[in-house]
Amino acid sequence: MIAAKSILFMSVISTKTVLLISLGYFILLFLVACYAEKCRKMDNCLLKNSHVYSLSLAVYCTSWTFYGSVGKAATSGLEFLPIYLGPTLIAFTWWFLLRKMLLISRQQNITSIADFLSSRYDRSTTLGAIVTLFAVFGITPYIALQLKAISQTLSILTMPVTAFSSGAGNLFPVSIDIAFLVALLLAIFGMLFGARSLDSSEKHEGLVVAVAFESIVKLISFLAVGIFVTYGLFDGFIDIFQRFLVQFPERQNLLLLGTDQTPYTKWFTLIVLSMMAVMFLPRQFHIMITENTDEEHIKSAMWKFPAYLFLINLFVLPIALGGLILNGGDTTHADYFVLTLPMSAGHPWLALLVFIGGISASAGMVMVSSVTTATMILNHLVMPVILKLNLKAQNLSRVLINIKRLGILGVIFIGYIYFKAIGDSYALVNMGLISFAAVTQFAPAVIGGLFWKRANRKAAIAGISFGFVLWFYTLLVPSFVRSGWLNSDILNNGPYGISLLKPLELFGLHGFDIYTHSLFWSMLFNLAAYLILSFFAKQTESEALQAETFVDIYLDQPLQAENLKRISKAPTIMEFVELMSKFIGEKTAQDAIAEYLNQQEISAKGELSDHDIPQLKRFTERTLAGHVGAAPARIILDNYLSARGSEMEDVFDIFGTVTIDHASSREQLSVLYDAAQIVASEGDFQKTLDGILELLAQQFKFDLCVIRFLEPESMTLMVKSLVGTSSEHFGQFERNPNMDTYIGQAFMTSTTTVVNDTDNIDKPASAQHIKRDGITCLAHTPIVFEGETIGILSAFSKTAKGIFTKEFIALFENLAGQVGIAWRNDQQLQKLLQGREQEREMQIAKDIQKGLLPTNLPTSGNIAIAGLCVPAHQVGGDYYDFIERDNSCYDLIIADVSGHNIGSALIMAETRTFIHARIQDIKQPAEMLQELNGYFLKDLDRSDLFVTMFYLQYNPQNHRIIYGNAGHNTPLVWKKRKQQIEILDTEGLIFGIKKDISFEQRATDLEPGDVLLLYTDGIIEAENKDNVFFGIERLSKVLEESDDLDPPELIERIMTQGRIFTGRRHFIDDVTLVAMKVLK
Amino acid sequence: MRESQKSSIREAWILCLVLGMIMINFPFIHIFSSAQLIFGVPKLVLYFFIGWPTSIIVIWYFVRHIGKEPQDSSVVTEDKSEP
Repeated sequence: MIAAKSILFMSVISTKTVLLISLGYFILLFLVACYAEKCRKMDNCLLKNSHVYSLSLAVYCTSWTFYGSVGKAATSGLEFLPIYLGPTLIAFTWWFLLRKMLLISRQQNITSIADFLSSRYDRSTTLGAIVTLFAVFGITPYIALQLKAISQTLSILTMPVTAFSSGAGNLFPVSIDIAFLVALLLAIFGMLFGARSLDSSEKHEGLVVAVAFESIVKLISFLAVGIFVTYGLFDGFIDIFQRFLVQFPERQNLLLLGTDQTPYTKWFTLIVLSMMAVMFLPRQFHIMITENTDEEHIKSAMWKFPAYLFLINLFVLPIALGGLILNGGDTTHADYFVLTLPMSAGHPWLALLVFIGGISASAGMVMVSSVTTATMILNHLVMPVILKLNLKAQNLSRVLINIKRLGILGVIFIGYIYFKAIGDSYALVNMGLISFAAVTQFAPAVIGGLFWKRANRKAAIAGISFGFVLWFYTLLVPSFVRSGWLNSDILNNGPYGISLLKPLELFGLHGFDIYTHSLFWSMLFNLAAYLILSFFAKQTESEALQAETFVDIYLDQPLQAENLKRISKAPTIMEFVELMSKFIGEKTAQDAIAEYLNQQEISAKGELSDHDIPQLKRFTERTLAGHVGAAPARIILDNYLSARGSEMEDVFDIFGTVTIDHASSREQLSVLYDAAQIVASEGDFQKTLDGILELLAQQFKFDLCVIRFLEPESMTLMVKSLVGTSSEHFGQFERNPNMDTYIGQAFMTSTTTVVNDTDNIDKPASAQHIKRDGITCLAHTPIVFEGETIGILSAFSKTAKGIFTKEFIALFENLAGQVGIAWRNDQQLQKLLQGREQEREMQIAKDIQKGLLPTNLPTSGNIAIAGLCVPAHQVGGDYYDFIERDNSCYDLIIADVSGHNIGSALIMAETRTFIHARIQDIKQPAEMLQELNGYFLKDLDRSDLFVTMFYLQYNPQNHRIIYGNAGHNTPLVWKKRKQQIEILDTEGLIFGIKKDISFEQRATDLEPGDVLLLYTDGIIEAENKDNVFFGIERLSKVLEESDDLDPPELIERIMTQGRIFTGRRHFIDDVTLVAMKVLK
Repeated sequence: MRESQKSSIREAWILCLVLGMIMINFPFIHIFSSAQLIFGVPKLVLYFFIGWPTSIIVIWYFVRHIGKEPQDSSVVTEDKSEP
C-alpha cells in the first residue's frame, strides 16, 4: 500500500526541462573538454594531475553499476559487492603489474589492449584481429545498455511510475528519440576529442578530463541521494537495517553469503571477473595506460580509485533496503530506486541530479569505449586490409583518421541499433557481466606475456580463441535462448540431443551458476592451450626478441640482437620520412624525425652508419605503431624494405666461412669490418672487448686470446678480457713488464712480438710457461693510443705453427687498433660520466699547445731534423722550435719552463710568440736571449716560474753554428769524423733572475755526418726504481751508438732506451728531444 | 634500486593480494555470514565496510612508505634511451 501511495504523489518534471538541463550538461562537458585542450596548448596539461588520472579510472562505474547496484542489492543482496572488491584487490598489484604494462606500452607506442597482445606476440595481425573482434562482440552491446539506461531513466523522470511498467521503448512523450540524440552527441564528442589525430598513443586531454569530471558528478549525485535516503527518509544506517529485518525477516538472506542466491562459488567468480575486467576492459586499458602521463600517478590511483569505489558503494545497501521498505518489498523497479525514492518523496530536483549522474556514468563509458574500439577496428581490422590492397595513394593519413572517426560513429550506432532491436532482452541486461567474462579471456595471454618469455604467438592465439568459443557457448548461447532467439531445446537436452554438450552443464558439470560454469570451462581451455603450446611451439627469432623486450623491460637492453644486424640496400632518412608521411601525414613525420635526429645527433643530411639504420628502422616502426598499431607497422616496414630489395642481414653470417688457410684480403677486411661494428655498437666496454676476442678466436681458431691493460700505478698489465681455455700463466696479469718476456718486449718497445714456432725461443723467462702450456705459436701486439702503449692484445695457439704471416700481423695490429679505439671510447664515456669539464679544457689546452710546436720540418736537403715533445701531464712547459730565416739560416730553440701545468704552458706560449714576432729584428742568439730575459723579468718574477733556453743558429752554407745558453742543459754533438761527443757549453743565467745579463755567444763548425742533440732535463733526470738517473752518459752512449740512424729513429731509440731504463711507459717530467743531422 | 629490494616490494604486494583474496572468500568469510546484528548493523555488512577501508589504508600506507624509495632511476634512463 505504501508503494501505491508513493506513486500517487510522485512529482514529475516536465520533459522539456529535463531535456534542456541534459543538453546544458552536455554543453558543459564540451566546455570542460575544450578547456582541457586549451590547457594542453598552453603547456599546462591537466593530465599531469594525479587526481584526474584516478578519477578518470572511475569510468569503470557505468550506468549498469550506477543504477544496477541498488537493483542487485535489492534482489540478490551482497552480490553487487564483488564488482568493486575485485578492483580494490587487484590494485595491490598495480605497482608491478600495471606499471610494467605502462612502461612497455610507452616504449612500444602501444595504443590498445589488442595492440598490446599483438605487439607482445610477434606483432601478430591475426591475434590483433581476434582480440578486436572479441572486444567488439563483448563491448558493443554494453554501449546499448548505456543508451537504454539513459532513455529509461528519462521516461521515469518524466512519467509516473505506473505508466512505464509495460516497457520502455514506445513511451516517449515526445516524438524525439532521446537515445538517438544522446548517441549522436556522444559520437560527436568522441570524434572531436578522441580522434583529433591519428596518433592513438598521444593523449586525449579533452576526453579524459571530461570523463574525470563525469566521475565527480556521478559520485556527488549518488552520495546525495544516499544521504537523502539514509538520513532524510530514515534515521541512519541502523534504522534501515533494523526496520528491514523486522519488516522482511524472510529476506535476511540478502545480508548473507553462501546462500542459494549467492553461493560462495559465484561470489569468487564475480571477484575474479571484476579483477580482470578492471585491468583488461579496453576502456580501462585506454584510460590506465594509453592516457597515463606519469607512472607516479599509479601510486596515488592505487588507493584513490578503490576509495572512490568504496564511497560510491557506501549507500547502495541503505538505498536498496530503504527502497524495499518504502515499496513494500516490491523489486520490480529496484534498478531505479535511486530515482524513484527522491521523486516519491517530493524531491524531483534531487532525482534530476541523479539522472545527470546516470548520464555521466553512461556517457563516460560510451565515449571512451567507442574511441578505443574504433582505434582497435582501424588498426587491427581495417589496416591489414588496406595494406593487403597495397594502395598507391601518396598520403593515407587523412583517409585513416576519417576511417577512425567513422569507426567511433559506427560503434555507437551499432550500440544504438542493438538497443532498439533487443533493448529488453535478457542478453542485453546481463551484458555487463558477460563482457567482464569476455575480457577475462585476455588475462592469461597478457599476464603470461609480461612474465614468461616462452609464451608465444601460437599459444596466445589458441588460448584466446578457445576462450572465445567457450565463452560464446556457455554464456552467450544460454542468454540467446533466454531472450527467445534460440530454441530452448539446446539448453535442456544439448545440441542434437547430446546431453554432454548442454551449454549450462558442459561435459556433465552441473550445480554451478552460469558465470562460474562459464569461467571454469573457458579458462580451463584457454589456459591449457596457452600453456601447452607455449611449452611445445617454437618461437621465431623476432618473437623471442619481442618477448624479451616485454619481460625484461626493467633491465637495461643496450645490446639488442638487432644491433648486430644491418640492412642491405638501406633506405635513407628521407625515404623513411616519405614512408611515414604516407601513413601519418607529412608534418607529423617531419616532426617525429626531427626529434629523433636531435636525440641521436645525426646530421639531417642523412649520413647514417650501418648501426644507425636498424635503429632508425625501429624508430620508424614504433612511430607508425603509435598511429596504426604494432602489427600493421611491422607489415608496412617489411613490405617497404622487401620491395626495395633490402634485407636484415646477420652480420656474423658473412664471416662464417673465414679460415686462416683461405684468408684473403676481402675476408680480412670483413673481420675488421665486423670488429668495427662491435666497437661502434655502443655496448659496454667489456662486451666490446669480449666480442672482439670471440671474433678473433672463432675466425682463426686460437686456443686463447687475451686483452691486458696497463694499471699505471702498479705497473701491472691486468687481464681485462679473455676468451678460450685459460692457462695458469697466460691468463694472468703481468707485473712490471720487462724485456725478459715476449709480452714485456712488445710492451716496452711498442712493437708486435711474434713467436711463430715455440721450438725456437730466445727468452728463457718465457720458455718455461710456453712449454708447460703446450703453446706452439703466439703473438703480442701493443694496444697503442696516441703514441702511448696502454695494453697488449695476445693470441696463442696450441696446434698451429707459423700462422703469423706478414698479412696476418697487419690484421692483428689493426684489431689492436680497434681495441684502442674502444678503449678511447670507453675513456671518453667515463670522462663524460664523471663530468670532468676541467679535463676536457686541459685537453683543449693540450691540443692548442701541440699546435704551437713546429709541424713543418726544414725542407733543405742539407740537414735532417726531428723533434718530439712528450708532456708528463696534459700540458707541459717544454718547448722546441725550428725557424727558417730569410738568409736560409735555421734557428733551433729548446726551452724548459719549470713545472708542467697550465702556467708553464702559458709561459711557453708567450716565449714562442715573442720569438716569432721578433725573429727578423734580432739576428744573434745572444741578443735574442738578452731580449727575452728583459721581456720575461717581470712576468716570471710574479709567477715564481723560471725558464731555461738554448738558442742556436745554424748556417748551412758554412755548417757553422752560433749559440747561446740561458741555463739550459748543454746539447750534445756527435762528431762523426772524430768519432766522439762534444758538448756545446757556454755561459748564461736562466731567465727571470736578474736584469741586464749578458749572454755569452759561441760558435763551432759542424761537418757532414755530425749529429746535434738538444734535450731537456726530462730525459736525463728520468729515474729508475733504484733512484738512478738516466744521465748524460747513457744519453751520450745512445747517441754514439746511433751513428747510422736518422734523427726520427734516433729520437725513437732514446725514448725506448729511456723507458727500458725506467721501466715505465710514462716519464715523470716533460721530455723534449730535438735532433739535427748534417747530411752534406 | 637493488634487484632484491625490488623483488621484496613485489612480494609484499603479492602477499597483500593473497591475504585479501583469502579474507573475502570462503571459508574465511563464512565466519561473518550470520544475521546477527553488531551495533545494529548486520555482521557481514559491518565486516565489509570496515575491512574494505582498512585495505585501502593499507595500500595508501604501503604506497607512501615503499613508494618513496628511489624507485628505479634506471627505468627513467631506460625511457630516455629509447626514442
